[in-house]
Amino acid sequence: MNLDLNNDPDAARRAADQMAVCLARELWDGERVFHGVNSPLPMVAIFLARKLHAPHSVLIEVAGSVDPEPEGLPFSTNDPKLCEGAASLFSNADAYDLFSRGGVDLLFLGGAQIDKAGRVNMSYIGDPAQPKVRLPGGGGGSVIMEQARRVVIWRVVHDVRTFVSKLDFVTQTGNLTRIVTPLAVLELIEGGLEIESAHPGVSAVEVAANTGFALDASRKISVTAPPTQDELAALEVIDPEGVRYSEFSALRRVKRWDDEMLRW
Amino acid sequence: MVSKLISLQEAVALVEDDEMIAMGGNTLSRTPSSFARELVRQGRRGLRLIKTAGAYDIDLLCAAGAVAEIQSGYIGYENVFGMAPSYRHGVESGAVRVVEHACYSVIAGLRASSYGLPSQPINGFDGSDTPALSDFRYIDDPYTGKKVLMIPRIRPDWGVVHVQHADAEGNARIDGGPFEDILISRASEGLIITAERIVETDFFRKKPERTNFPAFMTRAVVHAPGGAAPASCYPTYDIDVDAVAAFLQAAKSPETLRGHLDEWRERDYSGAIKAAGEAK
Repeated sequence: MNLDLNNDPDAARRAADQMAVCLARELWDGERVFHGVNSPLPMVAIFLARKLHAPHSVLIEVAGSVDPEPEGLPFSTNDPKLCEGAASLFSNADAYDLFSRGGVDLLFLGGAQIDKAGRVNMSYIGDPAQPKVRLPGGGGGSVIMEQARRVVIWRVVHDVRTFVSKLDFVTQTGNLTRIVTPLAVLELIEGGLEIESAHPGVSAVEVAANTGFALDASRKISVTAPPTQDELAALEVIDPEGVRYSEFSALRRVKRWDDEMLRW
Repeated sequence: MVSKLISLQEAVALVEDDEMIAMGGNTLSRTPSSFARELVRQGRRGLRLIKTAGAYDIDLLCAAGAVAEIQSGYIGYENVFGMAPSYRHGVESGAVRVVEHACYSVIAGLRASSYGLPSQPINGFDGSDTPALSDFRYIDDPYTGKKVLMIPRIRPDWGVVHVQHADAEGNARIDGGPFEDILISRASEGLIITAERIVETDFFRKKPERTNFPAFMTRAVVHAPGGAAPASCYPTYDIDVDAVAAFLQAAKSPETLRGHLDEWRERDYSGAIKAAGEAK
């Protein structure tokens, strides 16, 4: 892969900005949107979209509020700061109930393993009875992924460990439309994931080489629209601390203990 | 007035080995951290833990070998620190049994208990391997015939929540997001409250609509200033990132873990154990 996201800070920064704007563009004005815990890029993207093209969207905040206006964005996406400036609280149970009655338009989710059908494993690597890796779990995912109108997944690594032909465990599935990675935007078409666009400087061949299931090589693939000047300027305003960079090991100020262990 | 204000040590001594505890708070927010540390100091074993989304408290109890089973939707430190290493090790080594859940199914199980029912219907889990793994079962809805997933009741022996304000009788209030703490209090056999501040009952009488926990439901109150640290307690203190990092280092061996507990002992025991006006 030309992009060395683990060691090249500039490449990682460009990828993070590209991913943030791709995710932001998924939120349409007036929609209700939700992100989970441990979701820095979606959180930044939602605040970006609300500043730019989706000012009337409603953010159902996992930290327990509606439409917060915090002073700055925290590194924990479940931080109580994400209740600041909100006119009302709305607990997790409230949010899940809202999903359950079909009241949420867009959900951003992560995924440790993803298959061609867009199903997601957040639970185990290996046999669940004797797992090689116990993953954190899907949070609310196995309920809300099938309740949200649209689901967009983000993942800061695009490799054959993530995009697999067979999941070790199906934690959750349902209503997936797109996946945003540092290399490309994938879309779910007729039950299977295909490349919609490759990011500037990335070839379809590269995307395919880093994807563990087959992609249709005959499809016409566009180049992802790069971040506009307006989008980049707005990103700096809403996220001067660089929360959007925090998922990339090349840009992390502290070395995360599990960066190595996660290479199962 | 019947004071339920007791020391942290006395409150933790109420919990017996093998009991089920629902921990309040969420990931690194309003975690009952001092309570979790004292459970370890007192050598509790075989605990069955309930938490929608957990981090330090669950990871610490796993590091100490205090845990037999966990029912949760997510255990991890989020962004900066990643997964919970001691929890991972506990599960991967077979020492800790996991009942795989979504956060919402943990809530459903607690609701069943809160409502006095054996189980609770829930939407979701279509196409998921979780119901089979966790033995969650379906019934036919008697009115529509629709297949409905039923989550079995989760009835903790103890609910433990850390709040900003409590009085000595056990009235208590949360500032900011309540997470699942109110549900936990209704679902559990006994409720133990640890609080940043012990206030007079008049504090609650002035705004009873802000009282989340009425005194009659509370079994014990502990004055625990800083009791959520190194997690945050809105609006008084943020996540102590350095202290979380230090814990993750300390959790690597029994000796250093003991050092971690010793280091926090004085702060954990710093609360008042007599209500204002009571004889000292």
